Amino acid sequence: MAVSKKILLVDDNPLVLEMMGRALSKEGFYCMKANSADEAMAILGMERPDIILSDYHMPDVDGFAFRQNLIAMPVYKDIPFMFLTSEGDNELMLKGINLEAVDYILKDTPLPVVVSKINNFLSTVREQHERTLKELSVAAMALNLHSVPQRLPVIKGFEVDFWHKSFQNYPGGDFIDFIKIDERYTFIVLGDVMGKKWGAWYFSFGFLSYIRAAVRICIAEGNFSTKSILQKINAVVYHDPVVNDVLSSLSLLMVDTQGASITYSGAGDLPLLYYNTVDKSLKQIGSSGMLLGLMPDGDFDEQVLKLRIGDRLFIFTDGIIDFEDTNGKKTDYNTFTEAVKPYLGQSFAAFKKSTFLQGKTVAHIDDCSLIHLQKTDQ
Amino acid sequence: MILLTNIYKDALIAGIQVKEANLTVSDAFKDEMTALLDKGNKYIIVNFEGVIYVDSSFLGALVSSLKYALANQAEIVVAGLNKDVAGLFQLIRLDKAFKIYPSATEAAERKS
Repeated sequence: MAVSKKILLVDDNPLVLEMMGRALSKEGFYCMKANSADEAMAILGMERPDIILSDYHMPDVDGFAFRQNLIAMPVYKDIPFMFLTSEGDNELMLKGINLEAVDYILKDTPLPVVVSKINNFLSTVREQHERTLKELSVAAMALNLHSVPQRLPVIKGFEVDFWHKSFQNYPGGDFIDFIKIDERYTFIVLGDVMGKKWGAWYFSFGFLSYIRAAVRICIAEGNFSTKSILQKINAVVYHDPVVNDVLSSLSLLMVDTQGASITYSGAGDLPLLYYNTVDKSLKQIGSSGMLLGLMPDGDFDEQVLKLRIGDRLFIFTDGIIDFEDTNGKKTDYNTFTEAVKPYLGQSFAAFKKSTFLQGKTVAHIDDCSLIHLQKTDQ
Repeated sequence: MILLTNIYKDALIAGIQVKEANLTVSDAFKDEMTALLDKGNKYIIVNFEGVIYVDSSFLGALVSSLKYALANQAEIVVAGLNKDVAGLFQLIRLDKAFKIYPSATEAAERKS
């Protein structure tokens, strides 16, 4: 992964700002410039830099006071901070370093050296980060924890497959499961714990356990209603202090191979996209349920859909409909509908190679998950 | 600070100060909302005016704040959603959990 180089320069001297900005831009940095601590705070409210390089001598709020303000705010406290100043007094330098600054650079240091110091620091942070990520991934693998299936189920008369990409390659909050009850019934589970990275990933196992248990208990009781399964999961999540502060969406589908039908209930999930092969139409299949654990009664419903040979269902999380254009990030369901249209006459494997999905891999906006179900022969 | 607050009539308007409401600000947003509720505010309008994108982490923090508000007999409503964000609220049924107003002023007026 490339080292992110977004820097916030803070100096009341416009000449220094301009000079440093130019030198760093040449080295591939994206520079944000502030001529006071107040202006820097305003920029921080809009964008988060990878590092802050600040002067000490500034009117109103000096560099030390600025640093102290940042330390007091948990959201900014961890942004690496360097002083770049002409103040060479040893006592002041020590004071600066003691303010959890990663370096204290004198302004008469040659520019290429300053740039190298910043580059080296960011590379070290990235390397450390990647090492930690690798260690955590190894630990997770050792525990055999997977929030997406390792193999696809065989469902008679249906073809099922999925595509999954986690946010910035971290395990994330999306989870997928296929619960095969017997030759007749298979459950398809797609959830999105609201959050990203490790925190969400951890909670996805809590949700998955509840879902698996609820499905098995309901089936053992002869209850094949996806709505009542969701009600059971919701009741547990709502009251469980471990997960009730974490919200999750869920699409739950039961495939019945005998009836060639799908029973679907959703909790705060995106509408499914249904392709009807007879009239070649695409239609959204929405549900009424709210996010798991949000309300004691999630207002769930249940829909039964008969599928004919060739009919397809796309089930997906919000990362699939997020995109970025020149005006910034956006969310639009129709982008997926439009992207999938040219591939309706082709296999899902072909769509997996589409520029649309490959673009999601590059963009890293959110966890992205997409399940594809198609009715094949009798 | 993610939120800029001001009192309008009997409502507290909490304006989101970022264009992209995402993972990097969701924890801070939740902490600030919790603090506002702990101070005894009973009707908070979260103003999304100027916000162009909301990710699921931020929505999680918003919904979690709502649960905290309900437990404290308080109410959170949202205002100023742009077309995309309003569409997302509707798609995932958050419009059933939150009252949505076109603007913060209208949210405050309707309460009165």
